[in-house]
Formats: sequence, structure tokens, C-alpha cells
Amino acid sequence: MAAAEDQSAVEKVLSGDTSAFEGIVRRWQGPLVNLAFRFCRDRSRAEEMAQEAFLRAYRSLDRWRREAAFSTWLFALATNLYCSECRRIPARTFSLHDIAEPTDPRTLDGSLARKNRERLVRCAVFTLPPKYREALILFYFHDMDVASTARSLALPEGTVKARLSRGREMLRRKLSQRLVALQLSKEA
Amino acid sequence: MRDDDLDRILYKEQKIMPSSAFVASVMDAVRREKMAPPPIPFPWKRALPGLFAAGITLVSVLVAGRTLFIQETATHPLPVQLPSTFAVILAGWNSLGASWIAVALVTSVASVKLSMHFATRKRLIG
Repeated sequence: MAAAEDQSAVEKVLSGDTSAFEGIVRRWQGPLVNLAFRFCRDRSRAEEMAQEAFLRAYRSLDRWRREAAFSTWLFALATNLYCSECRRIPARTFSLHDIAEPTDPRTLDGSLARKNRERLVRCAVFTLPPKYREALILFYFHDMDVASTARSLALPEGTVKARLSRGREMLRRKLSQRLVALQLSKEA
Repeated sequence: MRDDDLDRILYKEQKIMPSSAFVASVMDAVRREKMAPPPIPFPWKRALPGLFAAGITLVSVLVAGRTLFIQETATHPLPVQLPSTFAVILAGWNSLGASWIAVALVTSVASVKLSMHFATRKRLIG
């Protein structure tokens, strides 16, 4: 249904009806802003990047070949933009060492410890080299679907699988190092 | 940390809602884009004769230079011992007055750097 609506909107825009583009923006604003947010962790920058992605899509609508779904083309275009933007101006994140574990987790209900742990993992993702970080971000955004991740990154599925595996391995190593450091600091 | 834990944490990501003005802002940008005049294309039709003439001239100069060199070496054969490369470069350097060009370039770069340095400092102070 959405695919047919997208196709019809694109035809209208290409025939000169700019207002038809609004339907596309309304339909895809959530996913595009959320994807941008995963790349930059900043709400206003995410909206700016998503706006630029829509603008680029508008400029190059005539280059969409109908072989792939419009959404696939749009995500690939947005991913390309977000990756280059975040390589140019990296996302502002905290260092892994800035995230403190509670001094005595037994006194808390566990939710703070869990939140800190989750924050630690997300920050660790941002310390990975871009090619692993981008693969991980897209993989979880696309509901852990390797094929969609590969299409967005314009890479073969095998390459994406290899990057995911290597990225996870690096992530585990970073996290275990941090957890050992925290353990040692508690014992001291 | 196990893969399951990583998957669970990274999959469960905070969802954000675009601001209410987002669609309007994108559509404004799209309308501005439509209103903007199209970029001026490079005038290939006008430039082609010029480019063609430049190419012909370059080839003619190379051919003439080669012919002149062959004629010169036929009438006045090259000395057995050629002057050193350094001497040839130095002679060329002096004949072009390259020292003055180098001084002028260094002075220009220094003045640009100095003015940019002052301008940046002023902006930081301001």
C-alpha cells in the first residue's frame, strides 16, 4: 500500500506537483529522523540531517529506478548522507570512563545499574571505527535484518555479516576492559 | 557480555518523534529549491572552439620545439660534457627572474596569513 502511494506521489512530483512530496515526508519522517538520531544522538541535528535527506531525495527523484522499493532507495540515500555527515562532524558522545557505576548497586532497585549498563553499551558503539559502527547501527535499525542493512549500505551481505561479527567482537572487548577497570577501582 | 545482551540493548532503542514543524520545514525547503533558478550549465558550445584551438596550439608548439631541437643538434652538435643539471636549473632560474617571483610570493603568503591570524583573533575576542 505504502509502496503504491510512494510511487504515485513520485509520479505527481515529477510531473510538477511539488505538494505531493508532502505525503512522502509525512510517511517517512519518523523512520528517517530516528535513523539520523541513531547516528548522531542529537535530536535537533537528527532533524537537520533528515531534512537534508528529504531535500536530496526531492532533487534526485528522477534517478529512482523502479527496480527497488522507494523506501529502499530513500534509506540508502539517507544512510549515505548520515554516514558522511557523521564522519565529517562526529557525534558528541561521552567517554566510556565518564559513565560511573553506582558505588553500591545493592542500595538501588537495579534500574539505575541497568540504565548505566545500557548507556555504556551505546557509548561503546560510538567508539568503534565508522565501518563497524555504521553496520551495527543499521542492523538494529532494520530489525536485525542483514539484507536490508546491506541494501542501505550498498554492500554485499557477506561484507555486512563480517563487519557485524567483527564489530560485536570489538564491542565485547571494549566492554569487558571497562568492566574489569571498574571492578579494579572498586576493589582498590 | 553475551551476544543476546548486546542484541537486547542495541535493539531496544529510544524512539523519538519528529517535531510538529518538521514537515512544514521540509516543504518550505523543497519549495525554495523549486523556486531557485536552475544552475547555469557550463557553456560547452562556446568553450569547445577555444579548447580545440588551445589543443592545436599546444601540439604545434611541441612539434615546432622538437623540429628546432633536431635542426640545432644537426648543425651544432651537443658538447661531449653536458653542464650539470644544477647549473642548468640555476641558469633558467636567473633568466626568469625567479628570485623576485619567490620573494613576492613569500611576502603575499605572509601578509595573508598575518591578516587571517588577526581577523580570527578579533572574532574570538568579539
